[in-house]
Amino acid sequence: MKPEITAIEIFDPPMCCPSGLCGPSVDPALLDINEAVLKLRKEYDGKVTVERYLLSQQGQRFMQVPAILALLKREGVSILPITMVNGKIVKQKSYPTYDELKQTLEQTTI
Amino acid sequence: MTQTRYLFFSGKGGVGKTTMACATAVHYAEQGLKTLIITTDPASNLADVFETEIGHKITPLGVPNLWGMEIDPDISTQEYRERILAPMRAVMPVDVIKVLEEQFNSPCTTEIASFDRFVDFMVAEEEGKGETYDVVIFDTAPTGHTIRLLKLPVDWSKHIEESAKGSGATCIGPVASILESKEKYDQATRLLGDADRTTFTFVLQAEDTPIYETQRSSEELKSIGVNRIDLIVNGLLPEEVCAHPFFRGRYDMQQRYMRRIEKLFAYPMKLMLQRDGEIKGIPTLRLVAADLFRTNGAPPAYSVDIPERTGVQSRNGITPVPLMDLIRPKGRSRTIFFTGKGGVGKTAVSCAAAYALAREGNKTLLLTTDPAAHIGEVLGQNVDETVRPIDGVPHLWAATIDQETATVAYKQRILADAREKYSEDMLKAVAEELESPCTEEMAAFDKFMQYLELEGYDALVIDTAPTGHTLRLLQLPFDYSDQVGLMVSTTQSSSAAKSESQARLSRIVDRLKDPARSTFAFVMYPESTPVIEAYRAMCDLKEAGIATQFVVANQVLLPQYCTNQYFERRRAMQERYLEEIEERFHLPIVLLPLLETEVRGLEMVKHAAQALSAPQHSNMVLV
Repeated sequence: MKPEITAIEIFDPPMCCPSGLCGPSVDPALLDINEAVLKLRKEYDGKVTVERYLLSQQGQRFMQVPAILALLKREGVSILPITMVNGKIVKQKSYPTYDELKQTLEQTTI
Repeated sequence: MTQTRYLFFSGKGGVGKTTMACATAVHYAEQGLKTLIITTDPASNLADVFETEIGHKITPLGVPNLWGMEIDPDISTQEYRERILAPMRAVMPVDVIKVLEEQFNSPCTTEIASFDRFVDFMVAEEEGKGETYDVVIFDTAPTGHTIRLLKLPVDWSKHIEESAKGSGATCIGPVASILESKEKYDQATRLLGDADRTTFTFVLQAEDTPIYETQRSSEELKSIGVNRIDLIVNGLLPEEVCAHPFFRGRYDMQQRYMRRIEKLFAYPMKLMLQRDGEIKGIPTLRLVAADLFRTNGAPPAYSVDIPERTGVQSRNGITPVPLMDLIRPKGRSRTIFFTGKGGVGKTAVSCAAAYALAREGNKTLLLTTDPAAHIGEVLGQNVDETVRPIDGVPHLWAATIDQETATVAYKQRILADAREKYSEDMLKAVAEELESPCTEEMAAFDKFMQYLELEGYDALVIDTAPTGHTLRLLQLPFDYSDQVGLMVSTTQSSSAAKSESQARLSRIVDRLKDPARSTFAFVMYPESTPVIEAYRAMCDLKEAGIATQFVVANQVLLPQYCTNQYFERRRAMQERYLEEIEERFHLPIVLLPLLETEVRGLEMVKHAAQALSAPQHSNMVLV
């Protein structure tokens, strides 16, 4: 039986760097999501990949995924962040918590 | 095929760095070598020296084999931005593009873009892309900024490597897409360290501050792997013109500093005399080049063969205004910023102004944001990041804002906040993110804001960093409030953090724009380049919504000392520029005459304070 890999993709809102530390004050929501990602990567070592995309740096990815592009066109940037798990949107407008992500993973990986 | 040689000119602004770079360029070009001179200085004066428009493109400079280019940070940013945005424009909705465009206005982007352009240039040359030159001369930005610019390749490639192991993205773009850049930065760093290819020339004057800064900067360069450094000591007074005791004193002072320079530095060294006229235009550059590359043992020259208006009395003269009339706090706290090109005496003027304010009983705090802070040397006592009272001057306190120290403190603060809530892994990720060069800029600004909001002082005197840097620093609140506006609040606490920093930023911005609470003054020498630079910088400030309130003309020669043709010519030159200052700026002018010695120690600070506020300087100046 081959190990199934679950792909989490987070399409971040516009910011300087993924932790948000480049700004004049640190946005706690960004720290929380960073923490969640780190924890999940560790717990599901090799079984889960987490990618984060920035509009200013990985804009290509936003254009490649039709669902993301469509949402952006319709709703504008305020729809971000968007979280996708295996190509399915699981959350938009805010980051998922660690528990939410874990729950989604439990459902998907079984 | 011979390989291109790179020559960098460094040193505090106002020491004649551009002149030396240009003269060197003229020399090589006239030897038949294909030569390009490039400036990365946001307040460049290359165009002024060559008396031609240059701009952000390779332009012939009126000498065969010689071209010049000004790397404009704004245009670089735009180009950098478009490289990324162009493919998105067709597909993305307008509001997304708009947000992205605003994002690229961040100070990080500007820094990166200028630097990137500069590295691209070196690397493209190496790879034989585009035109190749025998000699490429960089007339780099003033010391502190230059060092940062040059240190970046090292920091960045380290940053990229670490980042590749960690969260996978940095300020300069996703790791995947900058592997190519890493090679580029490494290549640039290697070139900077190659003694056969790259020379760093420090231009300095025989004075305390430039010596100190040259020492500091050359050490820093050596520590990042630069192997070939030489010096040009500029502005030396010719002994035979210093018969008057006033100038004899200054001549002796310079010679004492020369001994110190010889003792301190083992680098190859060239000496240049101060001239009796300006170096502007190709014929005068040839005169300088002849001295720089003298091979026949001829004595150095100091006469510029272009007749000054000797003996011609100034038409109207100017009416100087006493400094205190312009800066006295009127019942509410006032912040006074002295800005201007590095080396024009901002620190001396700031110290004297703070001294004068304190002497009138105003509780005064003197601060410097100059990356090469030497405020302590002027006050003759230790001044560091802690606010301390100044011995011997009641009501006066002083402190420095050191960018490196500020960065350390800023990192610690962020990490301490994070430590309470997050895991070790997270802290490591945060620490890694904080290694970014952007953090340094941020940290200094953060510190600056803290001081601006200090209560309890009647006056805050800020001895700002050199012009280009100052502007960036001062524009930060504006850029960052745009940035904060974009911060996406996804939780309650983050929304609170956002509104708090937004409120703080707009308080600072309001304060900077309020002429009753903030006073901006430009310090300059009455000489062509400093005046033009200050004027440009004033226009930039105006665009940011800040009106300059007055100017300080420093090192003005007093007529009673100018008893020979050499100094009469120099004084005539100054008079012309004092009038130009008046015509250009339409602002009150405060004068600080050239004093017997540098402003060092409290006695001299007091002397300078009195001179700055002397009612009319009636016995001294040009009427």
